[in-house]
Amino acid sequence: MTQSNRIDGGLIDRDRALSFRFNGKTMTGHPGDTLASALLANGQRLVGRSFKYHRPRGIFSCGSEEPNALVQLRTGAAQEPNTRATVVELYDQLSATSQNHRGPLAFDFMGVNDLLSPFLSAGFYYKTFMWPKAFWEKIYEPVIRNSAGLGKLSMKGDVDRYDHGFLHCDVLVIGAGPAGLSAALAAGRSGARVILADEDFRMGGRLLAETLEVDGMPGVDWAAEALAELSSMDNVRLMTRTTVYGAFDHGVYGALERMTDHLPTSGNKPRQVLWRVYSKRAVLCAGATERSIAFGNNDRPGVMLAGAVRAYANRYGVAPGKRVTVMTNNDDGWRTATDLLAKGVKVAALIDTRTGITRTLDGVRVETGSGLIDTKGHNGISWATLQSGIKIETDCLAVAGGWSPNVHLTCHQRGRPTWSEDIAAFVPGSDLPPGMRVAGSANGTMTMGACLTEGRDVANETIRDLGFTASRKAAAKAEDEASDITAFWHMGGSKARAWVDLQNDVTTKDIKQSHTEGFRSVEHLKRYTTLGMATDQGKTANVLGLAILAEASGKTIPETGTTIFRPPYTPVPLGAFAGRSRGQDFKPFRLTPSHDWAKSNGATFIETGMWLRAQWFARPGEKGWRDSVDREVTMTRNSVGICDVTTLGKIDIQGRDAAAFLNKIYCNGFAKLALGKVRYGLMLREDGLAYDDGTTARMSENHFVMTTTTANAVTVFRNMEFARQCLWPDMDVHLISTTDGWAQFAVAGPNARKLLQNVVDEGHDISNEAFPFMACGEITICGGIPARLFRISFSGELAYEIAVPARYGNALMGVLMEAGKEFDATPYGTEALGVMRIEKGHAAGNELNGQTTAAMLGMGRMVSKAKDSIGSKLSERPGLNEEGDLRLVGLRPVDRSVLLNAGAHFITKGDTPSMETDQGWMTSVAYSPSLGHSVGLGFVKSGTDRMGEVIRAYDPLRGKDTDVEIVSAHFIDPEGERLRA
Amino acid sequence: MPDFTLTPTSPLKGFDKQFGDIRLREVTDQAILSLATPLGGETALKAAVGSAWGLEMPAPGRSSRADDGKVHLLGLGADQIFILKPHDHLQPDAPVREALNGAGYATDQSDVWAMLEITGPGLRRALERICPLDLHPDAFPVGAVARTMMEHMGAIILRSGEDAFILLAASSSAGSFLHAVETSLNWTAP
Amino acid sequence: MIINHPLLGPRDAAEFVVKGDANLINRPDWQADDAAQQFYEYAYLRDNPAGEHRELWYHEQGDRSWLVVTRNTLTHEVTKVELARDVARAAGRSA
Repeated sequence: MTQSNRIDGGLIDRDRALSFRFNGKTMTGHPGDTLASALLANGQRLVGRSFKYHRPRGIFSCGSEEPNALVQLRTGAAQEPNTRATVVELYDQLSATSQNHRGPLAFDFMGVNDLLSPFLSAGFYYKTFMWPKAFWEKIYEPVIRNSAGLGKLSMKGDVDRYDHGFLHCDVLVIGAGPAGLSAALAAGRSGARVILADEDFRMGGRLLAETLEVDGMPGVDWAAEALAELSSMDNVRLMTRTTVYGAFDHGVYGALERMTDHLPTSGNKPRQVLWRVYSKRAVLCAGATERSIAFGNNDRPGVMLAGAVRAYANRYGVAPGKRVTVMTNNDDGWRTATDLLAKGVKVAALIDTRTGITRTLDGVRVETGSGLIDTKGHNGISWATLQSGIKIETDCLAVAGGWSPNVHLTCHQRGRPTWSEDIAAFVPGSDLPPGMRVAGSANGTMTMGACLTEGRDVANETIRDLGFTASRKAAAKAEDEASDITAFWHMGGSKARAWVDLQNDVTTKDIKQSHTEGFRSVEHLKRYTTLGMATDQGKTANVLGLAILAEASGKTIPETGTTIFRPPYTPVPLGAFAGRSRGQDFKPFRLTPSHDWAKSNGATFIETGMWLRAQWFARPGEKGWRDSVDREVTMTRNSVGICDVTTLGKIDIQGRDAAAFLNKIYCNGFAKLALGKVRYGLMLREDGLAYDDGTTARMSENHFVMTTTTANAVTVFRNMEFARQCLWPDMDVHLISTTDGWAQFAVAGPNARKLLQNVVDEGHDISNEAFPFMACGEITICGGIPARLFRISFSGELAYEIAVPARYGNALMGVLMEAGKEFDATPYGTEALGVMRIEKGHAAGNELNGQTTAAMLGMGRMVSKAKDSIGSKLSERPGLNEEGDLRLVGLRPVDRSVLLNAGAHFITKGDTPSMETDQGWMTSVAYSPSLGHSVGLGFVKSGTDRMGEVIRAYDPLRGKDTDVEIVSAHFIDPEGERLRA
Repeated sequence: MPDFTLTPTSPLKGFDKQFGDIRLREVTDQAILSLATPLGGETALKAAVGSAWGLEMPAPGRSSRADDGKVHLLGLGADQIFILKPHDHLQPDAPVREALNGAGYATDQSDVWAMLEITGPGLRRALERICPLDLHPDAFPVGAVARTMMEHMGAIILRSGEDAFILLAASSSAGSFLHAVETSLNWTAP
Repeated sequence: MIINHPLLGPRDAAEFVVKGDANLINRPDWQADDAAQQFYEYAYLRDNPAGEHRELWYHEQGDRSWLVVTRNTLTHEVTKVELARDVARAAGRSA
């Protein structure tokens, strides 16, 4: 296919040809083209089908406002639906297909919807699919789902990469058209740090699309000079292909930079970067968007916005048609005609809806005070009909309905635009996001000279705010072109449907009908008709729709009101919001110091929060995890086992008031903890419920080392800082986390001491007499390496926890195994750890779940009444201390071969299971290799008074109903002889 | 008793790699300590720090460095600084406690953190992908220090030169942190 | 959102954790005659104004300070940021 509609001029590189495919057809374009301009150059008017009626549609605009020309870009997993051909930068071997049709684009089987249109008007979903009820699930919904949506997803994982980033500036200038360039120059010259962002791949905005002169040179040349000056400034960052999509609190703006979308492949670099821009001030120079006029069949391919037709001719060297007709309600439309004529493009007619226009154009039929009422043509316009009935042969209709300032970002913090009668458009209201100013046509300043001046003036005001001295340099000069407008919204006089919102197939009739049916608020109109929804958010349609609603209700536009805008200004891919945080990189991993050792010794890992912990260590011949876990428990209980417990939170506490502070934090007493001793502590929340537990060791008079549970390490630290700074601000106490600093290992089992004696340096006596249960101390091991030793036990065995600086952790794991060889020491993972704590009856996360009290956990008497500590007062509440409250007990199946389930509820024998007869629930279960049967922990009403009672563990979810006996939670060594051995 | 030797390993195993003009390496020879000011003990600590190292207590966000470059104090909060100094003692907090004689509360943080040094021109382009702070020299000059968050991980960043930064990240997640920095460097390479 | 930290300057709210009503500083006296009632109110009753509100924010990914941020819940405007410790002292919590 040749570039039949290519004409002279434009900002394209004709020396290079780019080959691309549309619906399988090979075409050519040039660098500087968009997909839309290249399609038009190749004479391709029909590019897609409309959403509801599957009407043939073509390219309507030349920017991000495009409602029609949505295409599927690329192929395979990289396929992206609903890309706007008008902003897709052409690259070599680009491949695109049209959307929303079954069968070929030129003959869409779903076009039948258009014939059914009398039944498919506004609200048809709500009316049609109500009855019969049974039809919804089987018929209506599948049919609707099948027809819904525009493009198609590849249904494959996104192969592209996305990134985030953070930028800082004094002034963010949004949009690099005349006003934006002028603003950036003024701000940049003052020395302020400026970011100038523009969604286009080339900066200049309408300067690139117009033939107007600036400072005595073509606007395009002036833009190039301005950009050259800006790029020479170190304090200015120019960001092309960057859409500022949202104005957020406190000067934070969201921006999407398309890094590689204009390239055939992204080359392992991120395709797009989502920037968070921290600005002190912002100048919005987002320009304006042209809108259409509604008349019969004004949606055919070839019907376009007049400013876009001009832009295609001037910027891209493309004539969208060979016999163009212009219909306008303002002076701007005339420039489309004059620019086309200057390019040698035939203009069939110019129709101005205004009366009293005396202007003429050489060789062009000019009609004033009139308009078009209908068009004809198959898959594209070929005739237009005037009100008078006269038919005009034309292949492109350029419609100029006036320009709407792009006020979107002014609304992102609930600002409301106001109506300006002068330009028949909404302009920014007075309630702008703090720090934002608006300049140029976004502000309703519609002519070139005024835009340049306003850009500079607003930027100068802005930088003076920030204490910079404004440059005295004047703004560039340009004539103010004629820009009069007389609002004109739609032509009557024809029965043909007149389209308002091309993307959602909303017609003038739909709007009137919705008003008749009582949807009178503009917000209701939007929801009922879908006006202004989907990818374009009604950029070319909203004002037109509003005007027609106003007319229907006999009100003015300001009385009718307007919808406001939310972010994003244009669609942002979800992948960009995710950034790097996907797959393996979804969140960081924390590794324990002995991770490498565990990895090379058969460990299976489990994620616990961000930590990766060894779950068990499989040995050859073990058939499943239970084999490994049972063995690890047995070997530990019979001899000695080693477990990396580094993940427990560690907090270093120092200060003259450290002991008194701990007394506030823990519900039990700590002030009198002796030097060289460890104590178990229970923390409550202020509401009196149990929060966290752990041990705290007194290393010296004013120095304590606390451990918390792995899960609560971060929040315990946070809450302790709260207590320190906000509740007791003049206690001398200081906290710092040392969780990662110390590799800590539990060494448990009857041979634990003997094993440790193999590594502890001479001079450190760790015998039972010198270092009894709950002792702690600083020692050295392996020839002088500093270590901390704590005689504490989670397993119920004779046990220690030994900590060394984390750098020695991986080596120590190997050394402990070596030193334990003679005892057949085993490493054990979190599963064995869990089994042993259940066998011992120690509470953990399942029991400390935020709904339980110290009393329920059997620790009611620990809560000191002799002092003030967090939660102690409310723990005394009657509601938490009632007769018959739940108590933690052990449970074992009457039939020892049965495995128990956590989550089962307890029912007294003979009762019917119900909420009323519920007696509590099973919190934790494990198979106890030590006992040879399943054991459980659970809360039972008055549980400690019901020892020996058999109750039902009722579990309808898993279809189980097991008789269990209530026993002590301490299945192993209830007297605690082992741990004191 | 058999002889056992504990061989230390650093969180990033001595990572050192060139990315074009930018070098990223793990620093393994530095001790890191936190030092808290006792309530009401500002004057005493200031004097002790002055006599120990000849240094001022840095304000939050600033750092002070000895002339020989060996001791570097980082102001991180109202009553907390970090000390960077050569790791030349098995218990780095012991000599600091001794030098300050109870005027401040020192805690060894050497193994809590992995330390990276990143040097080379234009590295701000890489760091701006992960660091929310403004690293422009006017906003974050040489000697500036801050604790912040990068890629969901807490981090401390210190500008040690015009084109040089020190990054501290939790040692347990050092691998993920390094991956984040490397990704930034790879993705912003020219 | 940006919180202008009194010691560190403007920082992104993403570095902070919010706790809510700054009245949580005013923890009751455990030995008061009506301590149970006071603690109940302290733990459960909060104002939730549409407008100016004093809130506790914790600079978790920063200097670990607790701040009292005066913020308009309708506009998100922040009009004052104080160190919570200073607020607590001013409220007489030094004892």
